[in-house]
Amino acid sequence: MSDPLLINGVIIDDGFAEAFPMKATRLLITAHSLVWACHAAVAATGFATSVIACGCEAGIERELSTEETPDGRPGVSILLFSMSGKELAKQVERRVGQCVLTCPTTAVFAGLAEGADLIALGKNLRFFGDGWQISKVIAGQRYWRIPVMDGEFVAQESTPVTKAVGGGNLLLLARDTDAALAAAEAAVAAMKRLPAVIMPFPGGVVRSGSKVGSKYAALSASTNDAFCPGLVGLVAHSELNAGTGCVLEIVIDGLTEADVAEAMRVGMHAAIHIGAAGGLLRISAGNYGGKLGPYHFHLHKLLEAS
Amino acid sequence: MNGVAMRLRQAPGPGPDLRLDLRAINPAAMAGLSLAQIGRLSVTQGRLTLPLAEFFDLSRTDLPDDELRIEGDLARCDRLGWQLGGGRIVIDGDAGDYAGAAMTAGEIQVLGNAGHLAACEMAGGTLRVRGSVGDFAASTLPGSMDGMRGGSFIVMGDAGARFGDRMRRGTALVFGDAGDFLASRLVAGTIAVGGHAGLHVAYGMRRGSLIFAGVAPAVPLTFVPAVAGAEVIWQLLARDLARHGGPFSGLPTRSIERHLGDVAADGKGELIIVR
Repeated sequence: MSDPLLINGVIIDDGFAEAFPMKATRLLITAHSLVWACHAAVAATGFATSVIACGCEAGIERELSTEETPDGRPGVSILLFSMSGKELAKQVERRVGQCVLTCPTTAVFAGLAEGADLIALGKNLRFFGDGWQISKVIAGQRYWRIPVMDGEFVAQESTPVTKAVGGGNLLLLARDTDAALAAAEAAVAAMKRLPAVIMPFPGGVVRSGSKVGSKYAALSASTNDAFCPGLVGLVAHSELNAGTGCVLEIVIDGLTEADVAEAMRVGMHAAIHIGAAGGLLRISAGNYGGKLGPYHFHLHKLLEAS
Repeated sequence: MNGVAMRLRQAPGPGPDLRLDLRAINPAAMAGLSLAQIGRLSVTQGRLTLPLAEFFDLSRTDLPDDELRIEGDLARCDRLGWQLGGGRIVIDGDAGDYAGAAMTAGEIQVLGNAGHLAACEMAGGTLRVRGSVGDFAASTLPGSMDGMRGGSFIVMGDAGARFGDRMRRGTALVFGDAGDFLASRLVAGTIAVGGHAGLHVAYGMRRGSLIFAGVAPAVPLTFVPAVAGAEVIWQLLARDLARHGGPFSGLPTRSIERHLGDVAADGKGELIIVR
C-alpha cells in the first residue's frame, strides 16, 4: 500500500470502496404539476435506504421537464435497486401500487429503453380497475388505463431491468459534526447533479455505517466499530485518532460501474474543496477485503482519472 | 444489394382473363434463387397454376436482397404480400384485392390504390398505400372472427366501407375520407381518420379508439359523452399519430372531446373528436 495522498489538507486513503451487483430499473412519474409528481416519487422511494431491511434501495434521480416526458407533463425519474429481479419486481409493484397509483393525476412509465428482463409495472395493477381497465398499445408499447376517481391512471405495462452496481461509498472523517455534515452535504449536492445514480440514505448520508456480521448470530450486519469515534481507545482496531469527532458515509448506487465511479469522484472533489480548513480530515472507503463484491473503486485511481 | 424487380408484361384483362393470385411471391420465397428459378415460382390464374415468368419480366436491382419491386398495372393481381414475414415489397402501381393480408412483419408500399380487403387480418409490419383502398380494409378474411390484429396500416387516400371491421389490435390511419360503417364491431386497436366518415361510425364497437382529426361525425345514440379527461393517453396517442404527418401532424396541441361506447356492445370503446 502506497502513502496516502494529501490534498487541501485532507488525507485520501489508499483504499477502495467495494461494491456489488444489483438489479435496477428506472421509472418516470409524471403528474399535472411537478409538485404532485414529487409527492408520488418521494412516497415511492420512501423507506428504501438499504436492502438489508427495506427490500430495495431507491431514490429520486432528477426532475424532468415537459419536453423529457412521454406525455408532455412535468415529471420525476426514480431509480430502484434490489438484490434480485424477483425482489425488485415485488418492490416495484408494491411501491407503484401504493404510492403512485394513489397519488392524484400521476402516470408512470418505464425509464430504461432496454434491459435483460422485463418486470411488471401496470401489468398486475390493472386489476384494480375491476374489469373497467383498458389496454392501449401505442408504438409497440402496451399501456393500461385504470379508471380512478380523478380520471384515469395510465401505467406502462412493464419496465426493463438492468444489471447495476450498489454499495459504492465514501467515508468522510471530520473534526466535528458541523464539519462532517458540511462535507457530506457538499459531496451529495455534487453527486445529485449526475444522472444514473442515487444516494439512498436520508439526505444521501448515513451515520450508521455497518460491517458484515455481528456478535449476535441473528444479525447479518452491525455497527462499523472501527469508525465510531465513541469507541476510540476501546476497540483494538479503531481507524480513528483522537482528533476525529465525526464520521459520515455516503452510499452510492448506480446503473453502471462508470456511473458510480464518476459520482464518487465528484463527491470527493466537493468534499476536498472544503478541505482541512473546513474541518474535513480524511476520506476513506468501506471494503471487506475484496470478498463482498467484484467492483472495487480505488480512491487514488478515481482522483488520478480526473 | 441483389433485390428483384418484376414488371408485369400485360395486365390481366377484364374480359376472359382471370385475375392473378400472387400469394406465393415474396422476398423470402426468392431468397437464394437465380432469376430463372424465380421465374419458375408458381402463380395461379383461375384453375391454372403457371410460372411467374409467364406474366412478368424479371431483373436484378441494386436494392437490398430482401426488397422486391413490382411494376405495372396490378389492379387485377391479388394477394400481393400475402402473409409477408419480412423484407420489403414496393408496388409501383395499383394493387388488387387482399394486399398485405395476413402479413406479420416487413413493409409493403403501394404507390397507387389497393382493392378490397387490404390489410385484412394483418398482424404486424407496415402497409402504406399512397392512394385509396376499397371496402373491408383492415377487417377479417371472409368467415373469420378477428380482423387486423397488429402492425401499422396507413392509407394516404380514402377508404371504402367497413374499414376496420372486427379489427382487434394495431393502428390504422386514413388520411382522407372513410366509407360507411367505419370501425364496425371494432374489438380493439386504434383507427384515425383525417377526413370525413360515412354513416354509422363505430357500429357495435366493443373497445378501442376511433379518432376523428378532420370532420366530426354524427355520434351514434349508443355512445355517452365522457365526463373525465384522458390527457395522458391522448398525448401518448397524439404524439405517435403526429409522426405520420398530414392531417395528424398537429394533434398533440389540439383538444379533444370523447364519447364512450358502443353501450349496445361492450361499451369500452371511445370516439375521440379532435377540436
